[in-house]
Amino acid sequence: MPDIENDRLTFKLVYYGPAQSGKTTNLMRLHDLLAPELKGEMMTLETQGDRTLFFDLLPLGFRAASGLLVKLRLFTVPGQVAHDGTRKAVLSRADGVVFVADSQKTQEINNAESFKNLAENAARVGLDFQRLPLVVQFNKRDLPAIVSEDEVRARWSGAVSWPLTFAMALTGEGVRETFDALLRAVFRRFADELELERRHGLDEAAFVAGLLGGGAAT
Amino acid sequence: MTGAFDREFTLAEILPAAMLETLGTALANLLDADLAVLDAGGDVLWGRAPADASREAFVLEIEPLGYLASAASPDRLRAAAVLLRQMLVARARYLMACDLHTDAIAADWQALLERNQALAASEARYKALSEELEQRVQDQVRLLDERTRQLYQAEKLASVGQLAAGVAHEINNPIGFVRSNIASFGGYLEKFAALKARLAEGQAAWKDLDLDFVIEDGAEIVKDSLEGVDRVARIVRDLRGFSNVDRPEEEIVDLNDSLREAMSVFSGRLPPGVELRQAFSALPRIPCLPGHLNQVFLHLIENAVQAVADTGKPGTVTVSSRPAEGGIEIAVTDTGVGMSSAQQARAFEPFYTTRPVGSGTGLGLTVARGIVQAHDGRISIDSQPGSGATITLFLPA
Repeated sequence: MPDIENDRLTFKLVYYGPAQSGKTTNLMRLHDLLAPELKGEMMTLETQGDRTLFFDLLPLGFRAASGLLVKLRLFTVPGQVAHDGTRKAVLSRADGVVFVADSQKTQEINNAESFKNLAENAARVGLDFQRLPLVVQFNKRDLPAIVSEDEVRARWSGAVSWPLTFAMALTGEGVRETFDALLRAVFRRFADELELERRHGLDEAAFVAGLLGGGAAT
Repeated sequence: MTGAFDREFTLAEILPAAMLETLGTALANLLDADLAVLDAGGDVLWGRAPADASREAFVLEIEPLGYLASAASPDRLRAAAVLLRQMLVARARYLMACDLHTDAIAADWQALLERNQALAASEARYKALSEELEQRVQDQVRLLDERTRQLYQAEKLASVGQLAAGVAHEINNPIGFVRSNIASFGGYLEKFAALKARLAEGQAAWKDLDLDFVIEDGAEIVKDSLEGVDRVARIVRDLRGFSNVDRPEEEIVDLNDSLREAMSVFSGRLPPGVELRQAFSALPRIPCLPGHLNQVFLHLIENAVQAVADTGKPGTVTVSSRPAEGGIEIAVTDTGVGMSSAQQARAFEPFYTTRPVGSGTGLGLTVARGIVQAHDGRISIDSQPGSGATITLFLPA
């Protein structure tokens, strides 16, 4: 649960998912696509080949009319199974999660295991998984042997219906939409507790627009 | 949470005083001007700022982390800020990596602990299961012991029955003729009573009553009867050897005596054509339960005799004994019907019998083996169908 301190509000958002599903690519595209008032450099801590070993970090922010500085720190986790300790540490204190799944049919088991790992790690680091703002993105829609959208929707229309998005992170398609959906989920989850609307005049549209920046009309 | 890798750093955290001193001095020298490093709140962390100083912010993420203040030219000051920022980014990355590493290690450690606990719990479960199994085995062993005792008891009753039948037969015979003799002797006494009335007739009466014969035959009858009674007495004495079955106390005995006792039970009741031979060597005395072993010998001889009788031809049963390495070997060899390998394989099974229903319990060899094993001994069968069998016992000294 984020706090407002010194007129600053920081949300930690985490891109989770199986190895090489496109988490870092999502962040790189967001860095290119978004135009909020404040945008930092993308910090890539360490990689092995093109695989994240620690995490990537993209800082964003904007100042609300009330003077409140809303900061977003977007992290990616390392997807490889072996780095579970790191993954868990990065997931700690997350205020929202994008689960980036690989649409290829061959990756279905990896997706399922990674999602199960997300739920388990969320519990371990003390996150209420049922209330955690979560968007599920099926990436790599441009590849040939992929699970169809209908099938994905049928499979994910369970008891908890998380927003589902489809993306091609390499070209940037769907990346912004995914982020948009997460921002709305985060806003709905925390706006009341933080009195964003009452005390800072910040409604959902303004919140999303402030962070997407530019021609943010969605 | 302090120490968390994703906390937001202050300038003082990223650049400790000593590092700031080195870096600030170097930057001031490069700028060739007074320089101050201010934190995000504008407080001076290091250096001196002249009154006409201008400020240049340096941003780590999206907010100024601090400022450089100097009267140096704006271009130079900006360059100095860029340089300092690069240092800060490198330091911040390093600190985040360190802290994340610590977090990850802690998480991995926690995971290990959890796994360890799970393993310990699983080990405890297995231990409990093992103890339970152990208990069950012990219960089963106890049950088996009890069953074996019951079997033994049953077999003992059966052999007692056989023994009783044998004894009855043995005793009945002498008792029959002793009784008949006594009846005859009573008749002889009547003749002497009649003589009393005819004493006046003298020698004629003696002759008439045939008393010479009476005296001669009477002596014969008395002798026969005494022999009969002696035979009964011997049978009873032989039986005593078996009466200590219920006294399972170890004694040190010469097993040849026990074998003799067992064989004597059969003397006089062997089926026609069956000869019982003994081939003993001198044996060391060994500690054993003689009552129990007598049971075994009795049973083996009984079986052998029966096997010979089953052939319908004359044959022999030889009981032999000899000292062997570490103990004593006793063999009962017969020229009887023999056993097939299938029969041998099952011979020691409880209730396995080749005899007609009712004539044997099928427990004899089972109990025999139990008793021999209780003496740490071995029992084995060597046989071919049609050419007899040898049962060999080894008993350790």
